This record gives sequence, structure tokens and C-alpha cells, in this order.
Amino acid sequence: MINLLTGIDSTSSALDAERIRMDVIAENIANANVTKDVDGKPYQRQEVVFESVLRAQQDADSPDAGSQTVQIARVQRDSRPPRMVYNPSHPDANKQGMVAMPNINIHEEMVDMIASSRSYEANLAVVKNARAMAMSALSIGRHS
Amino acid sequence: MIDALFTDSDYVAAKKMLDVSLLRHQAIASNLANVETPNYKRLDVSPSFEAQLRQAVAGQDSAEIASLQPALAVDTGAISGRSDGNTVQLETEMLKLNQNTVENTLETQLVSGSLARLRLAITGKG
Repeated sequence: MINLLTGIDSTSSALDAERIRMDVIAENIANANVTKDVDGKPYQRQEVVFESVLRAQQDADSPDAGSQTVQIARVQRDSRPPRMVYNPSHPDANKQGMVAMPNINIHEEMVDMIASSRSYEANLAVVKNARAMAMSALSIGRHS
Repeated sequence: MIDALFTDSDYVAAKKMLDVSLLRHQAIASNLANVETPNYKRLDVSPSFEAQLRQAVAGQDSAEIASLQPALAVDTGAISGRSDGNTVQLETEMLKLNQNTVENTLETQLVSGSLARLRLAITGKG
């Protein structure tokens, strides 16, 4: 199939990856105060790991050989220790009155979220430009 | 022969540059997709191509211009200012993206202009 929008493979993979990253950030923020996850321990922060992939189905001698897409390699748990907060009235408090809270820093998540939406926008700009180029290519030789 | 109208070196060069701008767009799409991938190195059209094209255009050799093949290569001049080894910089990349789109518009207009002049010559009206 001919590809009218140049680079759409890379861009769509990046939009997918950023969307998943945003989902993970949302999950982290939503669970910022969960002291008992399914395993009975405080919720642990999750983070995505990006990796680049050579575009599938391309000839080694085609001119655009070497261009890459991106994918989420894995979603891994952040191994930093839980945040200890003094709150003796909490049902999950230990004998000293300390509660193990998730190792989530809201500010960190907000910064990640902004970075994620910025790169989402950057990739949308790529599609917009690809579309403009396709439209001008289609109008070559048209009567003006 | 009408062939001569399509083998004018400027026309062939404009066509080749159209291909190059699409290829560069592909590289920028790849770079922006991987803006947060650790150890990704930015791609661009290989610099040796530009030198070859310049030489061919200076010699006005249409056949040589048409035979040139642009390719993508890792941009070795890009410096990583980040701790993750990635050499993509978002702002630079966005500027290049827009610059490339404008170049592409210019090249389509050059090609369109050549065709319009050809039509004018054949029909006597624009």
C-alpha cells in the first residue's frame, strides 16, 4: 500500500506509547494514598520504559531504512521505599503509629504528565505537517 | 522531443528535493517518536547526499541528479545534553519539522510552475 502520510508509523506508535504512559501516570496519582494494594502492601509507583524498534516490513536498501518506531518495553515498579507518615489513628498504622504510604510524589507525577502531553503534541504536529505535505503534493500540476 | 522538457536539470533537482524532504520528514517523525527513548540517536538525511547533489546541480547533469539516492543516517554531529544518552532535542526538531514542510511547499510550487509553463507553451493559455 502506498503511504501518503510520511512517517505515520513512527508517529502513531509514539502516540500509542504516550497514551499508555499517561494511563500509568493516572494510575499512580489515583493510587497515591492506597495503603493496601491487592498484595496487602502499600501501592508501589509504576513507570514505563520506552524502547525504539526498527520499522517493520522495510527493505534494507529502501531509502528510509533505519527509521524507527517506539514502543513500551515494560511497565516496571519503582523500588523506592514507601513513605512513612505518622498517623496513629489510621487502621494500617504500625505499633509506633507510622503508616507506610505509597512511594508517590504528586509533583513528580505532574511533571511527568506535562512532559508526556508535550511530546504527544509534538507528534501531532508531525502528522499535521505530513498532511500539509501530502495535500501540496496532490495539488502538483493542478490548474490554478 | 517532449522528453527534453522533463529532463531540465532544475526540474529534476526539484523532484529529487521533494523526495528528500519526505525522507527528512520520515527521519524527524522517527526522532520525535523517540524523544524519550534512552540511548536513541537522532537520524537525518545523510550529509554525503547533500554534497553529491550540490556537485551534480553545479554540473547541470540531469542523469546524475536523477541517479542520486538519498538515505537516512545517524546524525553524528548531534550532541547529547541529557543523561540518558538521547541526542534528540525537542525544540530543534520542531523547528526542523516546520522548515522541512516549508521547503516541501517551495519544491511542489517549483514543480507545479514548470508544468504550468509547459502547459502554457502547448496551449498558449495559462
